[in-house]
This record gives sequence, structure tokens and C-alpha cells, in this order.
Amino acid sequence: MRAVVQTEKLSKYYGNVLGLSDVSVTIEPGVVGLLGPNGAGKSTFLKLITGQLKPSLGEVKVFGQPVWNNPHIFHQIGYCPEIDAFFPDLSGWQFLKEMLRLHHFPEEEARRRAEEVLKFLHLFGDKDRLIRSYSRGMRQRLKIAQAIAHEPQLIILDEPLNGLDPLGRRKVIRLIRRLGEKGQTVIVSSHVLPEIEAMTKRIILIHQGKIFAEGNIHYIRDLIDTHPHIISIKCDRVRELAAALVKEPEVIKIFFTPDPQEIQVETQQRDIFFDRLQQLILQLDLQVEAITSPDDNLQAVFDYLIGEK
Amino acid sequence: MAIRSLSRQPSGVFWASWRDVFKFYFFLGTHSRRPKLFFLLSLVPLAMAIIFKGSQIIYGYPRFSGLFIYSNMIMMFFLQFLILLLTLFFGTSVCREEVEGKTLPYIVTRPLHKIAFLLGKYTAYTLLVSIMIIFSLTLSFIIMNLDRLGDLSLYKVLLRDGGVLLLGIWCYAALFTFLGVIFKKAIFFGLLFSFGWENIIQYFPGKTQKLAVVHYLKSLLPPLSQEGFPFLLFRLEPTPRGEAILILLGLTFFFLGLSCALFAGKEFIIEA
Repeated sequence: MRAVVQTEKLSKYYGNVLGLSDVSVTIEPGVVGLLGPNGAGKSTFLKLITGQLKPSLGEVKVFGQPVWNNPHIFHQIGYCPEIDAFFPDLSGWQFLKEMLRLHHFPEEEARRRAEEVLKFLHLFGDKDRLIRSYSRGMRQRLKIAQAIAHEPQLIILDEPLNGLDPLGRRKVIRLIRRLGEKGQTVIVSSHVLPEIEAMTKRIILIHQGKIFAEGNIHYIRDLIDTHPHIISIKCDRVRELAAALVKEPEVIKIFFTPDPQEIQVETQQRDIFFDRLQQLILQLDLQVEAITSPDDNLQAVFDYLIGEK
Repeated sequence: MAIRSLSRQPSGVFWASWRDVFKFYFFLGTHSRRPKLFFLLSLVPLAMAIIFKGSQIIYGYPRFSGLFIYSNMIMMFFLQFLILLLTLFFGTSVCREEVEGKTLPYIVTRPLHKIAFLLGKYTAYTLLVSIMIIFSLTLSFIIMNLDRLGDLSLYKVLLRDGGVLLLGIWCYAALFTFLGVIFKKAIFFGLLFSFGWENIIQYFPGKTQKLAVVHYLKSLLPPLSQEGFPFLLFRLEPTPRGEAILILLGLTFFFLGLSCALFAGKEFIIEA
């Protein structure tokens, strides 16, 4: 398969601060998830492959061409920035149409495409409202709209699910999968593993400015499953639940917290544990207030995987 | 939305980029709130003209002719305050508003030649300022000369003043575009230049006054009358007109060229 994005020893420094270090990666058509905790270098990588930043070292090629100061290539690239910024005095319709005009589409074609994509993302009813009156979710959808309206071959979405409600998230996830099925290349960044899991099986793990791993999502799942998880459960009769959990082989430790209605359980087999927990809750007829995983964020997982913890 | 294969589109050549950027920012300039406020500000000389003329008609004061007041006060207000302020805002906005408004990613990820973007936006914004100024200048001139509108020789003055202001607008806008590309606090440096440097250096004797842009603009105008203002001791030592025009055009192209070269090679870090 041909490479859509190819980087070779790519590095970026902001003064003395490392943004990205020695990244060599090849991205082929389909959906690819760029996963990493906040500040890992995801946005820097995306800005480098969209020509917004100039590499300090190494090179980036998109469709076999250098991307920095190469305007022709942007006919084939759509970019949705993470930043929630717009031209505030424009309506959603004006913004989208003008962004298409900047792709040199004739007026009529720009109108048709803007209308089509606004309908598709359920923004057509609000098209004449000023963007500054849009909700966060609407603005997020509008940013996605401007990235896909010109039907690029490569779509780069920086944290596209931020600010979306569950329904909006599902729609965007479905859209991303559909774009991938059609043969377009979609690079999506996120710091939330389940979001990426819902879109693709191909991921690139990025941490502290370096590509930590790349490949199938099952690989990272396996890595994560070696990481002991702490799960906090708030319910009535916590001691009764603790007594039942002690008998379960996947439970390593149980902690009691100052809150009399909370226990924390450490396990290394998260999925099995959750299955068993559900059964016990039903069996004991417990009133559960919350089940959370205090360390189930990517930073903790990465720290564990690279041996910092 | 139907997902279609990529259709062939017109290439992002320089001219197409310039044209589309120009259209977009001219449209934005007529639809945004801030330019509308500046348009109101550009009407201040018109209000001054109405007050002066009204006062003349009702009270017979000030006693000077309409043309005298226009040339010595209203035109100077345009030249030494208004065009500086408007070009400062619009010129620095060419680059700075995209960085500060964080909209630059939308621009640089489109098939637009960076130099064409800068020139297209500069042209759109400078044309907007030119329209505002010429509109206000013409109305002010007509009001101040209501009693002599049949005198065709008078319109030569209007044409000359309009031309001088246009040269000033395009030159200052180029300079402020340059400041917008190189400085984060371009407005601050622009204010220092406009109301510090320009307003002081022009009154220095000898060749020093030639270091101010306004010196060349004033060289294109007849010397100010000191009638009624005997305390004014500053003396303009004008540059010949042809030379002054060439220098103004040269400065415009110089600052625009420098802005383009820097903008094309510079990366702007947009912080989240």
C-alpha cells in the first residue's frame, strides 16, 4: 500500500523545549488513531504533517511531497484544529462557504458543498446563526465540516470529539469509520483510548514527543492489561461487597478509604473483574452510587508502561 | 453527504489565491464589528466639518474661509491622526489577527500561496481604509466649501489631498503589516511609531525630518499657512514632489516585500 504520510527522523523543538523527537513513521490509507496523554506531542505531530510547523530536523512527506510551503498539496488535505477558534462575525453558512472559496471552488459549487455538509452534520437549520452563538458541540461539528467539505484524501482531526455530546460523538465516530471505509486516510488524535478504539484498530502511541508504539490496538490493550488497575466503588454495604471480592482470584488488593461508603480494588484483569463485579452487585442487591477508575487515564498507563511507576 | 472521489480542482496558483483571499477579507471587513467601529471613527472629520460650518453660518466664527479650515485642520487631522490609526489597526491585523484570533490554521491548511495570502489581505484591508477615508474626506470637503461648490478649480485640491492620503494609507499599511509579521505586540510598537516617532521627527530641522513618512506626504501639499498661528515655528523643508512620491512608493514596496519574505518563511506557534 502506498504511504500517505511519511516522516523520517522528524524532530521539533520550541526553543529548548522538545516537542517531537526522532519520529519515523509511515501512515497508509484508512483510519489511524494517534493516542497519547495531553502534552505528548500529538498536536505538534499533526501541525508538522499539515505544514503549520517547520521541522527542526528530519522531513515530512505527504503523498510523496514535502508539505512545508507547498500550497498545492492542501487540495488533498483537510484539517480540523483542536483550538476552538473561528471568525466570530460570520454565520456557520458564511464560514463554511468562504472556507470552500479559499479552496478555489466557484461560488455555486461552494454553496452546494456547504449546504450538503451542513445537512450531513445536522447544522443546516442553524446555518444563518452567528458562530459565536453556537454551542461547543455545534462549533466542533462546524470545524469537522470545514475539514471534509472539499473531500480531501487525507483528513486530520485533532481531538475531534472534544465538546460533543454522546449522540454527537457516535455520529462523528460513524463518520470517521465511513471515511476510512471509502479509502480516505483519516488521522485522529485523542487522549481517550475508548474513543480511538471505537474508530479504528490501527493506532500510534505517542508519549513525551516520541512514538512509543504503533500497530494494532490489541497490542496496546495487552500492554494495558499488564498494568494493575485501581477501581473505586461507592455503594451501600461496602464491607459486604469487599468480603465477596476477597474470594475473587483477579482481585489483588482491597483498600478502605475514609469514606465509609467507598472501597478501592486493585486488579490486573480489568475486563474479568468488571464482569464479576456486575454479577456481585446484582447478587448482593447493592445500591451503587459510582464506579470509577482513578488511575484509568492514559498518563498513568504510559507512566506505568515506560517504567516511571 | 455522499462521499465522492477527489475531483480535480483548479490549482492554487498565486493569482487565484490572491483573488480568493482578497474577496474573503473584503467581505469579512464589511461584515465584522470592529471595521464598522473604525468606519464611525473615520467620520469624525465630517462631524468636525459640520460643527465648523454650522458655527460659521450661525455665529460667523471662525472667521477663516472654509478651504483654510479644511486644509489646516481637517486635512491635518486625516494626515496626522486618522490614517495612522486606521492603517495601524488594519495593517497589523493582516497577520496578527490570524495569530491572536487563532484562525491561522484554517488559512495555512488551504491551497493558498502564503505571499498571495498576505498581499490579498493587505489589499482588501487597505482598500477598505481607502474607501472610508476618501468617503469622509469628500464629504468634509464639500461641507466646508458649501458656498464655493461651483468653483471647479477647488476640486483640484480635493484630488490632490485624496491622492496624498491614498499614498499615505498604502505606505503606512505596508509598514504596519511588516510590524504585524515581526512583533507580537505590533499595536504597541505601531503606536510608538505613529504618535511618537512620526509626530516628533517631522518637526526636526534639516535632514532629520526626512526620517518620518509624514515628511514626504507633507512635501506633496502646499506649506501650511501660519495665518492666525504665529507661534508655529516649525518649518517643513520639503522634498521635491517627484522624489517624495518615489520614496513613498519605494517604502510601500520595501515593507510589503519584507513582510512577504518573512511571512512565507516564518512559523507561527498558536497556543491552545
